Amino acid sequence: MQPQLKSKVRCLDREVGEVSRVIMDPLSHEVSHLVVSMNGAGERQVPMGAVQAVTDDLVQLRTSSSEVMGMQPFKREDYVTIHEVEIPGLEKHIHVTPGEVLVPFPELERNVKRRAFFANLTYVTGLFIGLPLVYPVMKFLMKPMYAPLDNGWLKVGNIGKIKTEDVGTQFQYKRKIKEVYMPEAEIEKNVWLVKATPAVLEKVYQGKDREFLDSSGNAIWTNKKDLPFLAFSGKCPHLGCAYKWRQHKVLGQVFLCPCHLSIYDASGKVLDGPAPRPLDMLPIQVTAGGEVQIIDMEFKAGTKSQTRIV
Amino acid sequence: MSDIPPAGAQPTVAEKIFTFVDERVGLKLLAAKMLNESVPGGSRWAYVFGSILLFIFIMQAVTGALLMFYYVPTADHAYASTQYILHDVDYGWFLLSYHFWGSTAMVVCVFAHMSQVFLWGAYKKPRELIWLVGLALFALVMGFGFTGYLLPWDQRAYWATTVGVEIMDKIPIMGDFLARFLKGGPTPGQMTLSRFFVIHVMVLPAALIALAGLHLFLFRCAGPAGPFRGAPAELKAKTDYFFPRQIWKDVVGMAVVFACISAMAFWEPVVLLEEATPDPGDYHPEPEWYFLFIFQHLRLKMFSGEFGQFLGSMGLPGLLGVMLMLLPFFDRNPERNIFKRPFALIGWVMLTASIILFTVSAIINREFLD
Repeated sequence: MQPQLKSKVRCLDREVGEVSRVIMDPLSHEVSHLVVSMNGAGERQVPMGAVQAVTDDLVQLRTSSSEVMGMQPFKREDYVTIHEVEIPGLEKHIHVTPGEVLVPFPELERNVKRRAFFANLTYVTGLFIGLPLVYPVMKFLMKPMYAPLDNGWLKVGNIGKIKTEDVGTQFQYKRKIKEVYMPEAEIEKNVWLVKATPAVLEKVYQGKDREFLDSSGNAIWTNKKDLPFLAFSGKCPHLGCAYKWRQHKVLGQVFLCPCHLSIYDASGKVLDGPAPRPLDMLPIQVTAGGEVQIIDMEFKAGTKSQTRIV
Repeated sequence: MSDIPPAGAQPTVAEKIFTFVDERVGLKLLAAKMLNESVPGGSRWAYVFGSILLFIFIMQAVTGALLMFYYVPTADHAYASTQYILHDVDYGWFLLSYHFWGSTAMVVCVFAHMSQVFLWGAYKKPRELIWLVGLALFALVMGFGFTGYLLPWDQRAYWATTVGVEIMDKIPIMGDFLARFLKGGPTPGQMTLSRFFVIHVMVLPAALIALAGLHLFLFRCAGPAGPFRGAPAELKAKTDYFFPRQIWKDVVGMAVVFACISAMAFWEPVVLLEEATPDPGDYHPEPEWYFLFIFQHLRLKMFSGEFGQFLGSMGLPGLLGVMLMLLPFFDRNPERNIFKRPFALIGWVMLTASIILFTVSAIINREFLD
């Protein structure tokens, strides 16, 4: 039977106090010491070897009270509670309740200085491992993010397809792409062409030719203000959906984006809806035979100004 | 526990194995700690959603892993391999459709679970951390929906991603970088598919497992909140353990959810559109239904222009998220009864009503577009 907490402790001559704590041996998982509260005269650490008999509420020692008084005083700071350490299976052996159950704080740990230093050292080591990895990992992930822009001309069809002025006509075309390690593939894209009347042309060009520049400011192409054909990127400047040419109840024939219902007229001007800027005009040239060529450009959606991304 | 054999009987092999494991890892104690969790006020059908979410997640992981046996995350094979799963692999249509409807069930149950915690006042002290981790889990579930949507590489997938990433682009300063980072380039392509795939099958599941574990751990530290009314003595008298009454209810809930998802997968199996390309033809882009309300409210005039777009796509949803995060720290009133918290009740009703309103109007809008 294990000694119970609060049990009276009796020596050969008289009662000396009560069991206030129990100390466990972390290896044998057995109770190794009792801590006896000496009726106001401090606490003594009594080895189990000094115990003669244990009953429900009494611990009988085989020593005299003066011998117990001479035993080692209990020092709390030399111990930790079993909740603070992990000793698997220890709890199964404890039948002492309630109160603190202790194991000795290891000798080597008692006088360790610079605990904070060692704790911080682990963080610093972690940083030394992690920080040099940040840049390579970011570069690793960022590799394909910024592709160079392609200013090649693409044939999209013949102008003869357009029958009516100031009406949006969709031209579908295929574009070859070579994405990183992938085999070359063809993607389908579309561009909207408008054969514009002088009034619409004036709305678009406002008397000035439209110049397209590359990222370093060099001219790529100039759309002449008197060329009656306009090409608009198929991507809605609102959030990048694909818009259509549709009949609108009030506004007549318009470019309408089915996603968020932005509406543009034949000159690309915003008539209604959430779009922040007009449709994006593309560089266009028309050969004598009526073949239309464009430079495929895409611009960032959702901004007032144009930022080219393709 | 009842697994102690009657005196004198020879232990069976199963009992011997159990004892062997128990001696080494304390199985009985562990099982007791797992099962003997007291439920204040007693078990209820209303408490089944957390367990159901765990069940749905496990099923998503299982069906997802199975789909990966055939699926190829490349721009030239994703669509073909998904079609192969749907049309050629035995029961492929069922597993893929189960995975699809499972994600819908996940969103529905997350909304129910969060609403319940909100209405029951269960986010209040000492359960603030459970609430915060729960919000992070909600974000992960939305991330799963968004990234998973691209993988079949059909037109629906392509355009939902195109618009979704453009929305991310509206974040001030970081937006352009984040959008390119996620797309792996200026426009959706192979890099986008690779990234969404690895996020969907590696990053998010790892994060979800970790956070769901933390969620449960914090829940076990704080304990269940219990009903919001009733005298302590009455609640104590009704208290039972997680096992068996609550587990019984949870299991029935899981079975019902399983039956519903299976039924949807059976009657409404996934059908792919044309293969993804920047030319949508006659297709009208639209996100998955649980993002429809955001999609629809971006059509409003008040969210037009550069700032309006930011407000509609990032500003207001972000503000709502921050408000939900700060909720347990500002709402210090210990009152949990929803009928004595008028602002909370009105707020919940308004948010739910507006989500339903915008979702329904997006659906009604469809027929005016053709």
